[in-house]
Amino acid sequence: MTSAAFTAALGLNLLAAVAGLVLPPRSRRAAAGAVTAAGGAAAVVAGVSAMRGGEWSVRLPDLLPLAGVQLALDPLGGLFVAVTGAVAVCAAVYGIGYTRHGGLDGRVPQVMAPVFLAAMALVPAAASVSTFLLAWELMALASLLLVVAEHRRRDEVAAAGLWYAVMTHLGMVVILAGLAGFAAAAHGESFERLRAAADGLPEWGRAAVFLAVFAGFASKAGIAPLHVWLPRAHPEAPSHVSALMSAAMVNLGVYGIVRVGFDLLGGGPAWWWLAVLAAGGGSALYGVLQAAVSSDIKRLLAYSTCENMGLVLVGVGASGLFAASGARTLSALALTAALLHVVNHAGFKTLLFLAAGSVVHATGTRDLDALGGLRTRMPATAALFGTGALMASALPLGNGFVSEWLLLQSLVHALPSGGTMTAVTMPLAVAAVALSAGLAIAAFVKAFGVGFLARARSSAAAQAREAPAPMLAGMAAAAAGCVVLALSPGLVLPSIARPVALAVPGPDAVAGPVTLRLAGLSGTVSPLLIAAFLLVAVVGLLALLRLAATRRASRRRARLWDCGAGPMSPRMEYTATSFAEPLQRVFDNVLAPETDLDVTPLKESAYLVDSVTYRTRVGDRVEHRLYRPVLAAAARVGEAARGLADGSVHRYVGYGFYAFTGLLIALAVLR
Amino acid sequence: MRDLFRKIRTTGRAAEAAPRRPEPALPARARALAGSVQVRHVDAGSCNGCEVEIASAFGPVHDAERYGARQVASPRHADALLVTGPVTRNMEMALRRTHEAVPEPKVVVALGDCARNCGVFAEAYGVAGAVRDVVPVDVEVPGCPPEPEAIVAALRGLTGR
Repeated sequence: MTSAAFTAALGLNLLAAVAGLVLPPRSRRAAAGAVTAAGGAAAVVAGVSAMRGGEWSVRLPDLLPLAGVQLALDPLGGLFVAVTGAVAVCAAVYGIGYTRHGGLDGRVPQVMAPVFLAAMALVPAAASVSTFLLAWELMALASLLLVVAEHRRRDEVAAAGLWYAVMTHLGMVVILAGLAGFAAAAHGESFERLRAAADGLPEWGRAAVFLAVFAGFASKAGIAPLHVWLPRAHPEAPSHVSALMSAAMVNLGVYGIVRVGFDLLGGGPAWWWLAVLAAGGGSALYGVLQAAVSSDIKRLLAYSTCENMGLVLVGVGASGLFAASGARTLSALALTAALLHVVNHAGFKTLLFLAAGSVVHATGTRDLDALGGLRTRMPATAALFGTGALMASALPLGNGFVSEWLLLQSLVHALPSGGTMTAVTMPLAVAAVALSAGLAIAAFVKAFGVGFLARARSSAAAQAREAPAPMLAGMAAAAAGCVVLALSPGLVLPSIARPVALAVPGPDAVAGPVTLRLAGLSGTVSPLLIAAFLLVAVVGLLALLRLAATRRASRRRARLWDCGAGPMSPRMEYTATSFAEPLQRVFDNVLAPETDLDVTPLKESAYLVDSVTYRTRVGDRVEHRLYRPVLAAAARVGEAARGLADGSVHRYVGYGFYAFTGLLIALAVLR
Repeated sequence: MRDLFRKIRTTGRAAEAAPRRPEPALPARARALAGSVQVRHVDAGSCNGCEVEIASAFGPVHDAERYGARQVASPRHADALLVTGPVTRNMEMALRRTHEAVPEPKVVVALGDCARNCGVFAEAYGVAGAVRDVVPVDVEVPGCPPEPEAIVAALRGLTGR
């Protein structure tokens, strides 16, 4: 079952790529999109079947020279294959409508999307270092080509592509170094071999491998401070690609950390996991703060990805920490929460990026300050984005709530049992998770309220048209998935228990179909009952209000109060910038916003003002403080090195001669 | 904080003793307000003389809030409009809309000579008329500007306290 479905998924994606290559432009979109969606569905089947115990492995020694290809799908890999497949179905259906304009129906984007999906399905199925790295690199290159698909239309795309290319390849280098060192020490490169040899490695060797792959995978997952490519590349990519990257690709960073840290290395000392937890907590806070003050709708979503991946890493780190101190139940609970959050985040982030794509498709702008009033013009998209925003804000009725509740439970219950380290760390982690949940609500209230409610702030927003049917279908599928995850997480939790058991052997951490019960801890939650109660309460309240309003004797119609000063205009509305201003003021030290105030007086008198220009911008502080100096230094070195190459052929011949002689002398001395 | 309390203790009571309670000669509509009148002040073109006196009437010495009158920030919250100044052409529509925005039952007080008959600004090019030319007026307070005692007395006429 697993084998047939996984082969079908790869085959269908290949077929879609071929269709994108050979079909004429008119039929290309629909054919490639439909076949890609079928491939995604096959990947879901393969993943779910692997999670239910249908493990599968294959060796293809002749496919690649020297190493061959080794694939294996176990429950952990199956989870990520299933998530990728589900995201792919939504994004591919959506893409049929979305890629109609803007040069996105060209050969390169149409071929690269299925290739990207196939690579993302291969990464969790790889069972040897060379296969893994090959799939990883294929995924990076395919996504890079997709990110720069619109470089002819906007200048910023090229810069975003450059950042992404450099960061992903630096990540690749450290992963390569870590895994190659591991494989060399293990005298073999298959994952089975690594697993068997992990215990024999010296402590510093294990730590070096873990830290190297952690840095690489964290950069792929968008963990601060290695996240700088993410808020550039995700907004500039076409929106269905943003959804694929933000909901499926970043997950593979988490996969890598869990696979290498828990499975291949078999866990490690507490300080590894403390580092993971700290990186996750920092990323959650930094990401959500940036999301809360961002006024670009897709940049906001990209920073929200940094936040959610941070939360996942808090869970992964806590799980490792508990495992290192022997608390198996808690460890399993934390990892369950983390993996469930991966699934939930994939659901709502697909929905949100696709809905944001519809907005960009309809209005041509991502600037929240120029949107507004879309609720009347695009009711379906508005409802779907609202659903996604609710799902993402960790409130009851949303699916983010369930996984964040489980995460908080695991962190809170650690207090009585752990030693000094947990006593110090866990309150901080709880505070970080709680603060990021609160700020996420502010960010999504802003995104939905400013973007879709009130009146249009620009003519583009006033003339927006509803998205075409395939795009709505893609979004609706994602929304339906989110609602199922939100109301009955009991459906997916048993499937997540197997991958968790693979990493942290032990009984299921969470059980129960409707009411979720934590094994061995006091704590229950029932999302379905909460939803039913809220629904009844809201409907009852509305009915009462309606009754009270109709029973009042006389109702007066009055003009909307506008301070008596004539019609209200969209300029009087809250903008995204003004909504976030108080937050920005509170976190002034962290965000360090740049403000410019230029006052130009009249020629006649310095006291009479002609014009005032006020500009404020919240940049990425990590980028400014950490990356800019390094880039500037590299540029200086490059400038200095230019003096060596002045165009004189004689000098170049001289360089060659001296270098060769120097090498010979060095060899003679060293040998 | 301690300084504040000491200041309160040493200053004592600044408000003047309440004058005699006025005769219950309330306009019919004011009776429905039952002794609690929320007042929205509208400057329809005043020279700000009346505003100084209003501030004084609601200040600690005359303390109009003792008698149930209170200033509010929106006509939606108000029972009474306190209009000062001749109604300028720029404020005519705004005054009309403010009056519309006050929920029933409502009372309009024209405060000062300008509000009653345009005062020294009568027949100036920018003046649309007295307050009664724009909205129906229930109570008029003469004076240029009216003294705080007169303002308080007019407000007590509405609250009946």
